[in-house]
Amino acid sequence: MSAGSGVIGSSLPAGVRPWHRLAAAFRRWPSSVRVAAAVLALLALSGLLASLIAPLDDAAVDLDWVLDGPSFAHPMGTDEVGRDLLVRVLHGVRISLTIAVLAALAAVAVGTLIGVLAGTMGGRVDALAMRATDVFASQNHFLFGVLALVLFRPALGGAGAVMLAVGLTHWPSLARIVRGELMSLRERPFVSAAVGGGANRRRLARRHYLPHLMPAVGLAFVLTVPHAIFHESAYSFLGLGLPAHQASLGNILADGQRSLLAGGWWIALFPGLAILAAAMAIGTIAEHWREHLHPRWRSELEL
Amino acid sequence: MSAPLEVEGLSVGFRTRHGVVQALSQASVTVAPGELLLVVGESGSGKTVLAHTLLSMLPRNVNVSGSVRLGGQELLDLAPADLRCLRGRRMALIPQSPASSLNPVRKLGGQLLEAAQARGLAEEQARTRLRELLGELGLDLDFVSGRYIHQLSGGMQQRIVNAMALVGEPDIVIADEPTSGLDSDLVDTTAAQLLGISARGTSLLVITHDLRLAQRLGGRVALLYASRIVEIGPTAAFFQAPAHPYGRELLRALPEREGKSIPGLPPELTALPGHCAFAPRCPDRFERCTEALPDLYPAPEGVLARCFAHAER
Repeated sequence: MSAGSGVIGSSLPAGVRPWHRLAAAFRRWPSSVRVAAAVLALLALSGLLASLIAPLDDAAVDLDWVLDGPSFAHPMGTDEVGRDLLVRVLHGVRISLTIAVLAALAAVAVGTLIGVLAGTMGGRVDALAMRATDVFASQNHFLFGVLALVLFRPALGGAGAVMLAVGLTHWPSLARIVRGELMSLRERPFVSAAVGGGANRRRLARRHYLPHLMPAVGLAFVLTVPHAIFHESAYSFLGLGLPAHQASLGNILADGQRSLLAGGWWIALFPGLAILAAAMAIGTIAEHWREHLHPRWRSELEL
Repeated sequence: MSAPLEVEGLSVGFRTRHGVVQALSQASVTVAPGELLLVVGESGSGKTVLAHTLLSMLPRNVNVSGSVRLGGQELLDLAPADLRCLRGRRMALIPQSPASSLNPVRKLGGQLLEAAQARGLAEEQARTRLRELLGELGLDLDFVSGRYIHQLSGGMQQRIVNAMALVGEPDIVIADEPTSGLDSDLVDTTAAQLLGISARGTSLLVITHDLRLAQRLGGRVALLYASRIVEIGPTAAFFQAPAHPYGRELLRALPEREGKSIPGLPPELTALPGHCAFAPRCPDRFERCTEALPDLYPAPEGVLARCFAHAER
């Protein structure tokens, strides 16, 4: 057991395999979290294995099968140029989830950094950071995103620019939360007790501030992931995100919007369901995680 | 292992928009090795400021003058890094309200271990030491390790913070209002635990407004009124016959004595009078009391009292 884990007398004896540990954790989860974990695992796995099961060829046009409804040959139907939708959705899940997760990570990193700077330095740094936050929050963040895309797309390519655009526009609310949380934490008795016990800044930050910030940061991350999927689709729809032929969920949704008028409901439905499933699965797991981190929020009375 | 704590002419003021709030004026007191000193006074008399000044845990808008020495070393002008070494290892704090003084989102095992390691103990050594210390206090390390602070009873919480204060074998332990918000049986347990700490030979400075706790603890008592020490002497002598009129009135206000509250209010700390601060409320005041500031004069039983009534002796 490492010193960092800080656990004395863990319930698991030595020699227990990590797999058993995972299985034990799985049994403790409520069924909603199990379902969510299964859905997320399924999405991730299908995204990962998509290129093995059904290699993607963006240019594979089959004009005999244009806008064909769900059938045995094409379970999700085909799009307006006859490409199989299942294959495109599977790859779309992989591409969009990866971009969304990285974009949310970028947003959370920027928000936490600014919030921590404002909350710990105080004074002018705080005032400057908060005015910047106000300016960003008062303007349309989509517009800032488009500006970032125009600036960075030539250098970073579509995917990189989308991540950066989401990262640079989705930090203000988290920065405010982190700052407020830190300011209230600094006045809490256990912080002064730790200082009285000889804690230095690093120990305060790692042991006392961070565990309290994790739920807010984790929640912000999770809420940003589905939002980032929408942003990716919106940017792609405007022709500023990924190239139009690439199978991201956003691009497929954009295709679906056009096909809807021609009666092709399935093209918008299936990628939409994929976004919904991913967002709900991540959200459920996050909620469980938050309760686990914040023991006070967990009701100890069974009613 | 113990070193004397000497406080001399300590004045602490806070600069605010309404002027300087004088929380402590010219306080001088010594805690000998192994001694038990109680600092008693009502809210706003400067007790907690004294505790926080000893540990140099004060906000930025503060004016401090005077001297605080631990084993001859001046503490008021120590660098922050040296202060951190001092806190916990040589001076330990038993904070007000144990429940909120421990991180609510972390299990106790990690926090205890970390407190011990911050005092310079290696991991294995720290664990053995904690096991011993908690054992002495009647707690099992494995039992508390996996729990959060809110899962323990009030008495157990108090023992946890006591163990954390003692793990570094400090010269002096400062307990800040150890009984605020506790019911009477927990006050008894806390008093017993504090006496236990004192019995180990560790110097103990207890800040409290709880006169019943003070009476149980014994030792010496310093009575604060409006930022000044008005009486200092053996606790037994104080409870038998206080030398300062404020002490007398304070004891008379206890419900089990006469339950008679002191008329009037303590003075504003932003505008302390140049004469005896208690004079306006004092039943025994005479002319001189509202003209000059009394010194600490010797009274019977080794007591010092800031009252002109004892100046004539």
